[in-house]
Amino acid sequence: MTRSTTSLLRLFALAVGVAALPFATMAQTSAPPIKIGWLVALTGPNSSPGIGFDRGIKYAVEEVNQAGGIKGRKLEVVTRDTQGDPTKAVNAALELMNREKVDFMVGPTNSGEGLATTPLIARNKTPSMVYGVVDTLIDPEKYPFTFRILPSNKQWTDAAHNYILKNLNAKKVALIGDATGYGTATVNLSEQELKRLGATISYKALIEANQSDVNSDMQKAKSSGAEVILVWSDSAALNARLINARAEANWTAPIVGHPALGSGAIKPLLTAPGNWNAVYNIGYKQTSFDKAGKLPDETSKFLSSVVAKKVRVDDTTLWWIAAGYDAVQLIRRGYETAGSSKPEDVKKALESLRGFAGAYGRYTYTASNHNGYDVNDIVMNRADSFKDGSYTLAPGYGQ
Amino acid sequence: MILSILIAGVAVGSIYAMIGICYNVMYSTSKVLSFTSGQLGMLGAVFGAWLIGDLQWPIWIGFPAAMLVGVVFSMITEFIAVRPVLKNLDQHLYVLSTLALALMVQTAAAIWWGTEPRPFPTLVGLSPAGLAEKYWLPVLVCVLTMVSVDLFYRKTLWGRAFTAISEDADAALALGIPERRMRVISYVLAGFVGALAGFAGGQLLFAFFAIGALLTFYGFIPIAIGGIGSNRGALVGGLTVGILQQIANYVVGGVFVGVVTFALFIIVLVLMPQGLFGSTVARRV
Repeated sequence: MTRSTTSLLRLFALAVGVAALPFATMAQTSAPPIKIGWLVALTGPNSSPGIGFDRGIKYAVEEVNQAGGIKGRKLEVVTRDTQGDPTKAVNAALELMNREKVDFMVGPTNSGEGLATTPLIARNKTPSMVYGVVDTLIDPEKYPFTFRILPSNKQWTDAAHNYILKNLNAKKVALIGDATGYGTATVNLSEQELKRLGATISYKALIEANQSDVNSDMQKAKSSGAEVILVWSDSAALNARLINARAEANWTAPIVGHPALGSGAIKPLLTAPGNWNAVYNIGYKQTSFDKAGKLPDETSKFLSSVVAKKVRVDDTTLWWIAAGYDAVQLIRRGYETAGSSKPEDVKKALESLRGFAGAYGRYTYTASNHNGYDVNDIVMNRADSFKDGSYTLAPGYGQ
Repeated sequence: MILSILIAGVAVGSIYAMIGICYNVMYSTSKVLSFTSGQLGMLGAVFGAWLIGDLQWPIWIGFPAAMLVGVVFSMITEFIAVRPVLKNLDQHLYVLSTLALALMVQTAAAIWWGTEPRPFPTLVGLSPAGLAEKYWLPVLVCVLTMVSVDLFYRKTLWGRAFTAISEDADAALALGIPERRMRVISYVLAGFVGALAGFAGGQLLFAFFAIGALLTFYGFIPIAIGGIGSNRGALVGGLTVGILQQIANYVVGGVFVGVVTFALFIIVLVLMPQGLFGSTVARRV
């Protein structure tokens, strides 16, 4: 081969190499996306939290994709509106797993749907993050690939009990729940735990959510000598009636309990705005204002960046958006740590997380515990303090 | 405490009694127990809250407008869910047709009004002897309704025509009483009474889509106890149910309120199937 032929060949190889560059780049960017199946109630009676979570998820996905994705793979969210209906949730879950072949499932957004879909998703060995609080949703043996973002119901009750016993220094508790499955189960759980912690249940009642008058219940609770009223109901009507009845009984004992005690639906049902004083609902440290009206620094930054991206926060609750955001961040960390998209590897990677700091809270998962939310981050908020998507910490948190 | 239980029981019992009267008025000309009766109460509460509370209409416009909604829905009930099944009354198809219509209107209310309870505005703003308006208003309205309906049946030609149709529809028809027109008029009256029950009880029950089902069931029990067709029976039955619910809640807890109420219902049905004020009908064989 002559020198000129060799040079020609080298030049040809160089030309081919340069010409091939765009194809190499195309091959890199055409790595399949990581598909996230998102089961959410965006319409229907339980849609408020779902709308908030959805905003957080979409914001987080955009952020991750703009940074190049996870090891070059973009995230793709496939959303299905379950409308709060377990049957629709099951059908949607099956479709996402069998037809869309999602890599990871997030949701559903309430416990009733979660109880229906979790066994199916677990059987398919699809890693998933759930939002329901009911304790039986999480079981690392039965559902090894299912993890929870929100606290469990047990963690909620633990936080409320701690506040009653340590912050309020109350020992005699009037325990009230609604007559639903949730209310009944949670009242029984609270009763067991409070007795174990040395408190006295001076009054216990299960009240129909639609009961028109609760004055006699409140009178009985007051007569029992209770120092605090612990309420487990998500019914705005019942919670408003209890708050009003406390005022009519001229009783100033604090009311502590379910996050719904701070719901915006309660305010118009109160006979006087002041009735809402000394009512404390479950909240989260990361998304609570301190006494000076400030959010934690990291949360302020998160809020600023969310608002800058024109995500609406004024008509929802900040922790819903933050919890949606964290689901995606947890998935990102799981895939990055695993270095692969095999469900078993992702599962192990999530189980290795210790104190992973999200916008909503900190998460620690282990092989035997898939309830990752740090119970120390659950606080009580002043129910009447909702502003700009967040609540203020209840008194007694050493602000 | 006893007084508080009685006051609350009488107030809510008055609402149940009015729904019972609504059932009776519909039954009087059609022999149909319409399960839309409770939804009429819901519409009265929801539209009352919307027109007077949200849109700030004065009461003298908002009240008749809310009643008009009940009347229109009741006429729709007669036309869609009752008239087509009258030929097959013995098959009780009206149970399905009126229940279906009730579910439709409940769902429509949930979608439009929302699924959270909303406040009903204070109407008069008086609390005589410290008694809140939410307690005395339903009682007063119930008494006025009872008296008015009683006078209507006894003193007006239409009322007597209703009575005639309820006793013997064929004979009434033979006498030239326009049965269909009378039935429509009775449903107009029932629509007014049902919506009035919800309107008067709105402060106690809230403007909430779910109260329709509640009123349907708890408004039915008074007429079963008091005797179908008897408005006095509906009043006694309604007050009994209301007071018993409050006592049961106080003594055994809210979980058992439904059990106690339906236990009473079954006991009365077993011991007096015609109800406290109903009459046994003799039949020639």
